[in-house]
Amino acid sequence: MNEFLEQFLIESRELVEQATGDLLALEESPQDHDRLDSAFRAFHTLKGAARIVEFDAMGRVLHAAEEMLVAVRAGEHPVTADLISDCLSSLDQVVQWLDAIETGGDLPTVAATTVDALLQRFEKADARLAPAPVATGWAEPLAALHPSARTAIRYAPDEGCFFRGEDPLSLLERVPGLLALDLQPTAPWPDLVAIDPFACKLVIVALSTAPPGEIASLLTTAAGQVQILALAADAFSSEAQALLQAQLLLVADREEENFTGRFAAAGNVVANVLRAQGRASHADALLRLVAAGDADGFAAALQNVLRGDDEEAGEIARAPQDVVARALRVEVERIDALVKLTGELTVVKNAVGHASRLAQGGADPTALAPLLKEQHALLDRLVSELQRSVLGIRVLPLRHVFQRFPKLVREMSASLGKPVRLLMEGEATEADKAIVEALFEPLLHVLRNALDHGIEPAESRAKAGKTAVATVLLQAVRDGEHVVVEVRDDGGGVDLDRVRRVAETRGIASADALQAMDEASLLELLFAPGFSTASQVTDISGRGVGMDAVRAAVARLGGHVSITSTAGHGTSVRFLLPFTLMMSRVMTVESGGQVFGIPFESILETVRIPRAQITQIGAAHAFVLRNQTVPLVDLAAALDLRGADEVRSDEANIVVTSFAGQLGAIEVDRFGERLDVMLKSMDGLLAGMGGVAGTTLLGDGRVLIVLDVQALLR
Amino acid sequence: MTKRVLIIDDANLVRMYYRDALQRAGYETAEAMNGLEALEYLLAQPADLLIVDVNMPTMDGLTFLRALRRQALPLAATPALVTSTEAAQVDINAARAAGANFYLVKPIAQDLFLRYVALLCGGAPQGASR
Repeated sequence: MNEFLEQFLIESRELVEQATGDLLALEESPQDHDRLDSAFRAFHTLKGAARIVEFDAMGRVLHAAEEMLVAVRAGEHPVTADLISDCLSSLDQVVQWLDAIETGGDLPTVAATTVDALLQRFEKADARLAPAPVATGWAEPLAALHPSARTAIRYAPDEGCFFRGEDPLSLLERVPGLLALDLQPTAPWPDLVAIDPFACKLVIVALSTAPPGEIASLLTTAAGQVQILALAADAFSSEAQALLQAQLLLVADREEENFTGRFAAAGNVVANVLRAQGRASHADALLRLVAAGDADGFAAALQNVLRGDDEEAGEIARAPQDVVARALRVEVERIDALVKLTGELTVVKNAVGHASRLAQGGADPTALAPLLKEQHALLDRLVSELQRSVLGIRVLPLRHVFQRFPKLVREMSASLGKPVRLLMEGEATEADKAIVEALFEPLLHVLRNALDHGIEPAESRAKAGKTAVATVLLQAVRDGEHVVVEVRDDGGGVDLDRVRRVAETRGIASADALQAMDEASLLELLFAPGFSTASQVTDISGRGVGMDAVRAAVARLGGHVSITSTAGHGTSVRFLLPFTLMMSRVMTVESGGQVFGIPFESILETVRIPRAQITQIGAAHAFVLRNQTVPLVDLAAALDLRGADEVRSDEANIVVTSFAGQLGAIEVDRFGERLDVMLKSMDGLLAGMGGVAGTTLLGDGRVLIVLDVQALLR
Repeated sequence: MTKRVLIIDDANLVRMYYRDALQRAGYETAEAMNGLEALEYLLAQPADLLIVDVNMPTMDGLTFLRALRRQALPLAATPALVTSTEAAQVDINAARAAGANFYLVKPIAQDLFLRYVALLCGGAPQGASR
């Protein structure tokens, strides 16, 4: 997939989430203009993005949805449940397309019927609207005097506007690229004495070089009194067209060694041509893309300009800033802290350079030692500060994953016929990007369970004297080096008798053992592979993944899941997650002549035992540790690094670890040292390699492979 | 602001022709006999547009363009119009590969030449007599 499409995917998903959140909020409070504007902007930008990647079907569907929101904004259409549903289903379709792009690597082929079905929904809604009054002829006289105008505005302020604190002229003053204003009376002026100075009896016609869309969004406060007309932009002269085409070719070949210069030169020429043709705003937009080094964006924008697609060129003008803001998402203070650290590091670097010159000059090593030691201490402090700062950049608020749930819960609630209110708390809580992004699936599963199994049917709730609308709370809290995410429902709690019955019929535990189990142990059974308490498999939670999958997913993040339940009052599922994934403390071990790292958190202890105590069980080995049999894996043999005729020492060095609640052990040739490392996960060809948690660079430049002990023992 | 055009051509007559046309249209002009002279000139002061001939002694036009585009910004980004008597597509492609923004085949009608120059410079000089 090309980078362009990748960026499109990232951006589109965020916009879909934003639009979904806004639509749901709008349904709750239809008068919320901020939400309406935000939803409109999301649809608008999404449409623009679709057109940039030339995904026609998506553009058309979104355009129809956007038109509906425009009508709502103009007060011509009320916010109805149907309208929200129509808009949401267009987003659903978009998500499906995005998924298809992600898996297929390219734009999917879209059946015309899919698009038509969606468009029809909007057309039906649209038919209920009265056609907007169209008056023409007012723009031409003024526009003829200003050929560079792109937009004409006709503003007929309400007569009593002055009494409402409205100031028509100051409103128009904010219009960008204002070229001309023409004021006319709404009716012939009466005698001077008869004029009411407090009534605004004017029609104002204004011209601007800005695109219509930009002006429309500015004048929303005066909607209903304003007409906005796009003036036909002058076609480019044939010379201008030829020049622009040539620049497109100039940036097409990225392989040339002098591409930076060529790209910048092409950018200058394009900007100059556009300015010469009276399109300064396009020129600026394209120059911004050049400054950002975005050759793809530049080429796409230039193509749109050539095609005369003004609106899209305008959209691109705003897009690059948004993209940069989204891609980085780093507070200025964090960058400043890094800059400051870089400065301090430079000072230390210079001091070390000075010491090395002294050493070269034959200085006494004992005299140099204190100097070096001091600088080392300084460096130590700075590097740990740097690591902390960089970690800070990697964190994201959990809002990123939380915001996807209101819509999903709404759908589940509707399909199950259980009215549910989702409350979210602590969305601003931060955690490592990797954790935030991996939380969606597990949380979704737990939420599904809460709605499907946790919350009782309406009649049971009524009998228990509970509110008809159930409540599910999704909550995040930072707790020291951990982040706790909890899903709590006010349903009936886990039915322990049912758990016993199911566990028995599925052969998970014997009847006697089950009777002896306390509540906590019974709840623990929910995490057993293949366990499900649902008597009927519904289309919502019966998807073949159980709580065991949730626990495994959270374990991969270094976290832990637990369930608590109070009969009649509800169930709570708690995720305990590490705040960050990146800093790892590892112990180095040597095996088969190579050095590996083992994450400290997976090491229970290290032991040295006589080889005679290791017994062979079938093809595997084991030894006894404090009356417990522990399976043993020889690391060198597992990695095929053991020479057949190698003489083994009499004592085995063993790392004891725990695996899925059981003890497991790994034999190594030698224990090494303890290190704090920045773990880099494997990517590219090696991404799917099992048994490896990541790599890190050692002080001497060697790469240390850090083992995933769990995977090794599996 | 006056736009400065640097004319790079080894033929006196050609330089004179461009100089005359450009100055009457209100541009400021400068001249260089070959690519090397042009580079030296540009390292000392910027130009808004370069008119580049291809076949020149010491340093030809395409070598000059490649060297120019490798310079630091903003120098590397100076717009360049290549004018040549060669009209074959290979020549046009070679000029583009070297970093030329546009290519015109000589001889060029004066009004057309000035229209291109005006576009490449971001607009014709104000109040100039044509």
